[in-house]
Amino acid sequence: MIRLIAITDDASMPPAPLHAVGCGRLTAICAPVDEHSGGADSLWRHEELVESLMETRDLLPVRFGTQLADDEAVAQAVGARGGQLAQRLELVRGAVELALRVDERGAAEPPLTGAATGTEYMQLQADRVRNGRMIHDELAALARETTMLPGPELLRAAYLVERSNVDAFVARVRKLQEANPELVLICTGPWPPYSFADEERA
Amino acid sequence: MRDKVLAAPKDLDPLSVEPPRLEDALSRRINADPESVERGLVQLVLTIVELLRQLMERQALRRIDAGSLTEEQVERLGTTFMELDRRMEELRDEFGLDVEDLNLDLGPLGRLL
Repeated sequence: MIRLIAITDDASMPPAPLHAVGCGRLTAICAPVDEHSGGADSLWRHEELVESLMETRDLLPVRFGTQLADDEAVAQAVGARGGQLAQRLELVRGAVELALRVDERGAAEPPLTGAATGTEYMQLQADRVRNGRMIHDELAALARETTMLPGPELLRAAYLVERSNVDAFVARVRKLQEANPELVLICTGPWPPYSFADEERA
Repeated sequence: MRDKVLAAPKDLDPLSVEPPRLEDALSRRINADPESVERGLVQLVLTIVELLRQLMERQALRRIDAGSLTEEQVERLGTTFMELDRRMEELRDEFGLDVEDLNLDLGPLGRLL
């Protein structure tokens, strides 16, 4: 068995113990099976691997834990979706993923039960939705593509941002934070474009 | 992980906002002893109730936005949702469940909520 790490169209050799499998126009970067896989450590190792590859090439990260029998199976699996993957690769070219979580300050639990009347409760709910939407719209203007992720926060979203635009994006997050001291905005990255690699997720 | 934080409020430790859930996520398997079966069942039932609650709440917000509800209806709806929210919180506490626990990963379909 081998692990599938990333799909790219850069044919250069990845550093050992990785190896490249040609799949038509695309290249699959594979690794030997991690014997201690399954824990959080191996997930972080996977993440570091993808990030180091991402420094020198555009790629689609493959979901952690994807294993196939051998090079031939990889070539077949990737070849069968070649067109789709090439399209996705074009979408993420030159860009990274930035993640954002927004919540109310001190909101480990939703504080909405503090409302005095039903109308006030609905009002607070509507404000929450509106606040999240406003922040999302403002940041989306700086991104090539966005996706809202489900979660208990006011807003949890991922943004596909051009590398040259990352600083401007982070500056905008800081400005939004200053303008909304009652909220907590946490922006992390740059990540491989996990949220934009699959059609279903993006 | 810490060097991945690009922006966060200065007075807050960003990692304290959301406790690391990685180990949880990786070890979330169905354990077939009688006690955890009960907890698993409660988790599933509450997840479905929470899904319905959120869907209804979103629908209600849309109708308020559209102006198709009277003040009295808004008040009644709001009170119901607030009560439901409160009750859900109590049940979560009782069974040691987190907001995040009331969500299901549906694989390629994404997350339920």
